[in-house]
Amino acid sequence: MAFVTGCSGQYKGMPREEVLAYQTHATYGELHALAVAYAESINAAVKEDTLHPGMYADYGVTLALMGRRGTACRMFNAEVRAFPESRGMVRRIKQHLLSDMMDDTLAQLHDTANIGQLMGWAYDSLTALRPLPWVASIVDSSDTAWIRRQTPVDSVQREIRLTANQKRELLEEQQSAAARARQAYADSVAAAKQAKMDARKQAKVEKEKAKKQKEKDKAKADKEKKQLEKQKQKEKEKQLAEKKKEQERLAAEKKRQKEQEAIAKQKQREQEAAEKKAQREQEAAEKKAQREQEAAEKKAQREQEAAERKAQREQEAAERKAQREQAKGGVE
Amino acid sequence: MKSRGVLLLLLPFLMAGCKGEKRMTQYGEMYRERPAILYIAPVVDKSERRAVRSIEDSVYNAAVNAAVKQLYLTASNPLVFNGYYVLGPMASAQLAATENRTVKQLRNENINDYYDDLGIDAVLFLTVNSWSSTHNSWTVEVEYTLRSTRTGSEVMHSVVKATKLLPTDFKGRPLPLGEDRAFAEKYGCDLETAQRCRLVETLNLFVLKDLPAGNRARPVSIERYVPTHAEYYNLQINPDGSVMIVPDDEEQ
Repeated sequence: MAFVTGCSGQYKGMPREEVLAYQTHATYGELHALAVAYAESINAAVKEDTLHPGMYADYGVTLALMGRRGTACRMFNAEVRAFPESRGMVRRIKQHLLSDMMDDTLAQLHDTANIGQLMGWAYDSLTALRPLPWVASIVDSSDTAWIRRQTPVDSVQREIRLTANQKRELLEEQQSAAARARQAYADSVAAAKQAKMDARKQAKVEKEKAKKQKEKDKAKADKEKKQLEKQKQKEKEKQLAEKKKEQERLAAEKKRQKEQEAIAKQKQREQEAAEKKAQREQEAAEKKAQREQEAAEKKAQREQEAAERKAQREQEAAERKAQREQAKGGVE
Repeated sequence: MKSRGVLLLLLPFLMAGCKGEKRMTQYGEMYRERPAILYIAPVVDKSERRAVRSIEDSVYNAAVNAAVKQLYLTASNPLVFNGYYVLGPMASAQLAATENRTVKQLRNENINDYYDDLGIDAVLFLTVNSWSSTHNSWTVEVEYTLRSTRTGSEVMHSVVKATKLLPTDFKGRPLPLGEDRAFAEKYGCDLETAQRCRLVETLNLFVLKDLPAGNRARPVSIERYVPTHAEYYNLQINPDGSVMIVPDDEEQ
């Protein structure tokens, strides 16, 4: 187990930001920005003598993809010069990208004559300025043969034949062409920088726009959500109210039913009471009638007994009288 | 006292000797082959992508894609620093475009032509096996294979599971590191992408930095030798930037 601090800061050189940006969005703008970044990195590395293997080749590929074939070819050759072990790989890449420039002497210009480099710049600048109609007409009409003729081998051969006067004229012409090319190169670099800045600004604006749109969408979604929630709440309340109403209706019905039942019970009770009363009255009347009958019977019986007793008493009185009279009669 | 002084004088040499022996045993194939010119093949990405059903899925997929690109971009730096000749990403991509065989075929079939035609000594194959994450950590498993173009043998093979830990606040929520923020601002990406990119960048650095030096090795003031030689190991990047390497017992 070991602890080590990060040291990623040591490895510099390749413009990774631009490479990643280009690999993510492979547009011409990104490619241009990448080429500018590579050029700056190479310049800085050459100054500090810390050239990164493969940087010239990468720059060459970028330029070739941009259509700046001459400079690309020179960069590939520079890679081979700086790192001879890359010869095979660079040759394969050149075959792939610049198949018609495999034996092109334009690349050797860099070594043999400074003027060739200037002509290369001129060629690249014209290619870069191709969108302008008059440049396109020159480039298309001559098919860049006039530049190709200025290759170092040709220029060396021509040099022998040219007179001093012609030489001077050619030199002046070439110097002015070189000045124009330098200016065009500086302009293209400035334009690239501007394009990069514009692209960044545009990206920033788009990002802000996207952010605003996102916020807007979010706000809209929130609003819709709130509305949906409100609607749901309303529906819920409505359902609750309906439920309450139903419950009330059921309660009222129950109450009414209860009342009806109570009334029916009351009626039944009253009926039963009336029946009982009638029964009681009937029974009382029957009892009364029975009592009266019994009383009448008793009265009749008493009267009969009284009459019997009276008759008996009268009979006994008559007998006693008869006895007394008889007794009286005997005495006499 | 005298013997102690002698021992102290000899100590650096003894340490250097031990380290050299270690490297000799760990990178025996490398020392035998002595590759100087390397080529990084396109990354084989075996990790899964999410089916896009929401914005989060798209963001996840974009972050993983960017991290894979970053893995490819940053693989050459430690190799270059160690003195190997490696083409840059743009040229490597063009070289890959000229190849008719797939990366799998390159990995398994005869690649002698790379040595004969292009002069490449070894090809580095990078395979992203999987991604995973928790609330405060990101994990990636990457397989590094360096295959000789002359003999076809694997001169280096490492399967690394790297985890990047983020500090958390008192509620346990992850706090993004300042470096990640800076990366996100510099590259104009979101924090998730930045964290994944920085993870693979650090992983590349720590896996490839201690290969035996190539023929263009530059002098290094501080030797940052870490035994990342085991074939399978786990690498943990802590919030303070320190890195912990734990050998993986479960060799796959």
